Amino acid sequence: MYHINKILAVAFILLLTGCSIGGEKKIKIFSVEKPREKLNYEMPTPLQMEEIKWIIITSANADEVFKKLEEAGIDPVLFGITDKDFQVLARNFAQIRQKLQETNNLLEEYKKYYEDSNNTQ
Amino acid sequence: MFSSIRMVITMLLITGIAGAGVYVMKLRADNATLKANQLKLETAIEDQTKLLEQQKADFKAIMESNKKLNILINTFKKDLEDLDQRFTKKNRDIGKLAIKRTEAIERIVNKGGKNAARCIELASGAEHTEEELKATLKSKINPECPALANPNYVPHQ
Repeated sequence: MYHINKILAVAFILLLTGCSIGGEKKIKIFSVEKPREKLNYEMPTPLQMEEIKWIIITSANADEVFKKLEEAGIDPVLFGITDKDFQVLARNFAQIRQKLQETNNLLEEYKKYYEDSNNTQ
Repeated sequence: MFSSIRMVITMLLITGIAGAGVYVMKLRADNATLKANQLKLETAIEDQTKLLEQQKADFKAIMESNKKLNILINTFKKDLEDLDQRFTKKNRDIGKLAIKRTEAIERIVNKGGKNAARCIELASGAEHTEEELKATLKSKINPECPALANPNYVPHQ
């Protein structure tokens, strides 16, 4: 009787603690960070400007200018602007050039900022 | 009577030992959890430190970029002022000058047009020529956009 009690006691203890030994395996979840693909556009091709020739025409040299044009086989016609409009044209061109430069610089700065290894998102 | 007491004592002993075993196992499990927590906290602190450093670097890069763009915009303003000055300096009237010295002004206008076209090429990303890079004298620069065309030219104040 005494031995049976002992065995029962040990069996009872094993029954209580048995499930805690070993147990279920834990699922491991891990993530691998993959950097975003780079947008590798080439920078825009630089412009190649064609040369234009300005002719200044005054009341004094008008006949001579037209005669020269005819001699050179060029249609004797000129598209004119006044001296004031010439200044405006020069200013407009300067502003277009500045905008182009500003946009190109911004593009470079963005590229540098986002493609720099320290700032890669 | 005696055997019953013995049995109770034995039972208590066995239960005590088993309880101690379970308690040790619980302590070990707690220890493992605490170690994992500690590891997570350390990783989190490291991540936060990295993030702060990154933010500092980003802020510095943004400030530098802003500074560069501000300098560029100031250069633009100066270039436009210079252009206006070229037409109006000392009450200059380009129209009257063109009547008086037609050929000379025509030459100047054509040269200016050529220079302005080159400025547009450079602004669109064209490479500088060696001559442009070497220019340090006023007579050698492209006066339409010296800051852009001749980076090594330092104008006298």
